[in-house]
Amino acid sequence: MNAVRLIGDGVFSMNGREWSLLVACLLAIVIFSVASPHYATSGNAATVLRNSVELLLIGLGMTLLLAMGGIDVSIGIVMGLAAIAIGRVLGADGNPLLAIVVGPLVGALLGCVTAAVVVLGRVPAIVGTLGLLGVYRTAVFVLLGGQWLSGLPSSLTNLLATSVLGVPVPALAIAVAYLAVWLALRRTPYGLHLLAIGNSEEKARLSGIPVIKVRFITFVISGVLTGIAATFYVATYRNVEMTIGSTLALDAIAAVILGGTSILGGRCSLIGTVLGVLLLRILQNGLLLIGVPSLWQPVVTGVLIIGVLGFEAVCNGLPLGRFQRARA
Amino acid sequence: MKTLRNLQGPALTLALLCALWLIVIVGLLALKPSVYNLGTVTTILQFSTILALVGLGQGLVIMAGGAGIDLSVGGAVSLSAIVAMLCLKLGLPPVLLPAVCILAGAMLGALNGWLVNGLALLPFIATLGTFFVYSGAALAVTGGAAQAGVPPWLLLWGRGVVMGIPMPFLTLAIPCFALAGLVLLSTAWGRWIYAMGFNERSAKLVGIPVDRVRFILYVLSGALAGAAGLVSIAWLGSGRPNIGQNLELESLTAAMLGGIAITGGRGGVGGVFAAVLLLVTLKTGLLQLNINTVWQVGIVGALLVFVLLADRLSQRWRS
Amino acid sequence: MLSQFKKVLAASALSLAIATAAHAADKHKVAFVPQLIGIPYFNAMEAGGNRAAKDLGVDFIYSGPVDTNPVDQLQIVQNLIDQGVEAISVSVLDASSIAPVVESAKAKGIKLFTSDSDAPDSGRAVYVAQATDEGLGTTIIDELVKRVGEDATIGIVSGEATASNLNAWIGFMQKEATGKYPKLKLLAPQFAGGTAERAAQISGDLMAANPDVKAIIAVASSTCPGVAQAIETAGKIGSVIGAGYCSPNTARSYLKSGAFGFTVLWDPEQLGYLTVWAGKQLIDGKSFEAENKVAGLEKPVTYDAAKGILLLGPPAVFTKDNVDKFNF
Repeated sequence: MNAVRLIGDGVFSMNGREWSLLVACLLAIVIFSVASPHYATSGNAATVLRNSVELLLIGLGMTLLLAMGGIDVSIGIVMGLAAIAIGRVLGADGNPLLAIVVGPLVGALLGCVTAAVVVLGRVPAIVGTLGLLGVYRTAVFVLLGGQWLSGLPSSLTNLLATSVLGVPVPALAIAVAYLAVWLALRRTPYGLHLLAIGNSEEKARLSGIPVIKVRFITFVISGVLTGIAATFYVATYRNVEMTIGSTLALDAIAAVILGGTSILGGRCSLIGTVLGVLLLRILQNGLLLIGVPSLWQPVVTGVLIIGVLGFEAVCNGLPLGRFQRARA
Repeated sequence: MKTLRNLQGPALTLALLCALWLIVIVGLLALKPSVYNLGTVTTILQFSTILALVGLGQGLVIMAGGAGIDLSVGGAVSLSAIVAMLCLKLGLPPVLLPAVCILAGAMLGALNGWLVNGLALLPFIATLGTFFVYSGAALAVTGGAAQAGVPPWLLLWGRGVVMGIPMPFLTLAIPCFALAGLVLLSTAWGRWIYAMGFNERSAKLVGIPVDRVRFILYVLSGALAGAAGLVSIAWLGSGRPNIGQNLELESLTAAMLGGIAITGGRGGVGGVFAAVLLLVTLKTGLLQLNINTVWQVGIVGALLVFVLLADRLSQRWRS
Repeated sequence: MLSQFKKVLAASALSLAIATAAHAADKHKVAFVPQLIGIPYFNAMEAGGNRAAKDLGVDFIYSGPVDTNPVDQLQIVQNLIDQGVEAISVSVLDASSIAPVVESAKAKGIKLFTSDSDAPDSGRAVYVAQATDEGLGTTIIDELVKRVGEDATIGIVSGEATASNLNAWIGFMQKEATGKYPKLKLLAPQFAGGTAERAAQISGDLMAANPDVKAIIAVASSTCPGVAQAIETAGKIGSVIGAGYCSPNTARSYLKSGAFGFTVLWDPEQLGYLTVWAGKQLIDGKSFEAENKVAGLEKPVTYDAAKGILLLGPPAVFTKDNVDKFNF
């Protein structure tokens, strides 16, 4: 009974924003299929899904952070640092199993560092992670010493390119990560506490919620997910370059916001994040296929954010928005 | 009203910044006596101008509270520079170039203001959206190509130096900061900005036109970005579609380092000014010592974390 | 507080003005400012510069920006001028990276010249070129035509849209295609910025949009891993070949897997050597001959007095057969 409810109630249940995102995705697919004869092919679908893996994983962690009223603008570089660790392990002895472990481990470690500054140091998350962004970037440069990690062995690639019961490993990893985060959020005290902190940290503290612990753990979870993303990154490109991850943080934040998670905290949507990432990637892919130069892609991202959230704000009426801002 | 301003914080930060600045200067002079000349000052001020203008706008927007932030400043700098140069190509009289550039920035700022006020979007979301739009459009419209054709008289201003101080800094950055400082400290408008940043609801209740002030501040931030775009044109001799790259993060760093609280209501433009000079002096110093540039980003980041932690600790210590 | 601060500033400005700079230059100084630090290509140039500095008895300074940002590059050049470095070479991101300082450098008697990427008409002393832009653009098209025939479709993936040297190469590719191979179809260039991830995404989309594409050119060295990965994951090894301006170390594994057919590059180490040698010549006030024998280089270098270009020589083509002979 419990298990049935668990599946039926919430894993994929959707609200208005999520439905509209789904409709937008489908609509985009239909339009692009009509506009370009090369769009609706299995190869292209695989390309889009393949290009979404890292952003999906990082987006899940970012959803938790935003739901808590936090943020992490250094997350792309965290992925870079984890990728360096994975690359070094791979390059040293090529053992793919060790490489799989090391990514999440480094991610968790850096999550602890970030949490130490932001949570224990009580620094506003956006500013604290901005400072750490600089520190981590220097670390990437110093660790790579100016040389890229190139031509890494393909053992990890081969391992992650396999399928389990017909499901490709990346899809499986995302499904497991999604389910784990969903369970933590909706079926454990941790999730309740997280959303309570997002609603009001002060009230959460007064009602006896271990605010510091919950916030600390969330940064670590986000770090672990980023570490897994780094594993897929290294497996795919077999190359770690200096600029790794530099655009990921803002892309992830954009996708999560699109998905309906409130940046003020207290409201979040995991399925929305997944749909947000997919919508971004579908549009980027489709527009290039119908001949729009890639330079316009950021513009599309921006218009999408303003359009979707602006539309919702208009629909909900203005007073709500005012209220939200006043609360900030 | 005076107590609202909480002058403790800014004064402390400013003192801290000046101390850090002196440490940097003294350290640099000890390690490399040859930097001891007027050229170094000119260089520092020259490279401070754009960041100072953008940081001022960013600081004012944050100070007014309501989760205020302007992530689009970098994109606005690029796009206003490009728009102005494209207008010139379409036959705009060169005399109007400065006005058009600043106006273009103001209009981009007005769009931000409308999204925040009219649509009641959170500033972070609205300006994240316009950040993508502005910076992307500047690149996409030009295909990445720099736009040449700056009139020579503008270069004369952009590259001119008077008594060791670059013209754009002397005629644009200093007046802007002086004006902003004056307005903040001794006019009703200044008190309104602090009041609404401190507590928006009370500010509304006492009749402060919160929405109007906020809209004007976003326009101002845009106009200052436009002015920064103008400086870039006049100095570099071409409109660069990616000239504002990273400015959103750098201006945020300067504002935070300058003691402006991210939640608003606390801080001052003097701190931003000092923070910009500190940042550029630090960069210059590291360059003069031929220290690898990779350390710059890390040191600036660590400095930001350090100042924030120090601020926190001092607050806890006081209370 | 503000006025106090300004007083301090004014006082220190005044005292700085009174003092005169003392140059204790026992050795001549030559500097090179790359477009970006932390990429293998420019590291190799640095190594060559160091070797030349040792041979010629000069001090070599290597300093560049961490982002491809012209203002950061300009700031570095300005500081080298302030330091009184006698010869400064710059791989310009754009002419504006040196335009504002050409006059002040001249006034101080500092030799400002370009290397690797040129700013024509800027008043630079000389341009140390790896190969002509035209040679680079035409070589890659000619080599590709040898492999895919004269009536193929070819895609172009570049890095930053603002890099003037990359855009110049693309221009010559297009010129060569229209002039010499009228049946060849060059697609409009797409820009991926600095990350391998974006390059892979765009290359994948490009192949989906143009199923008849026979080759993809990776113009910026940072796009090589992404382009190669996209070809590998799309399973198009053999039907699509990658090519580009990538160093042998970066491209080695892709050349061997067949994702890349060849890469075109010169030896950046030699270019770095030549750059420092040219700086020394300029400091000594020696002019360049039509053909110069440089002790540390394998081949003599030519000088085009009309254009002010010192030319290293024709670019080399690396394939899977010869790539193992090189290490840079």
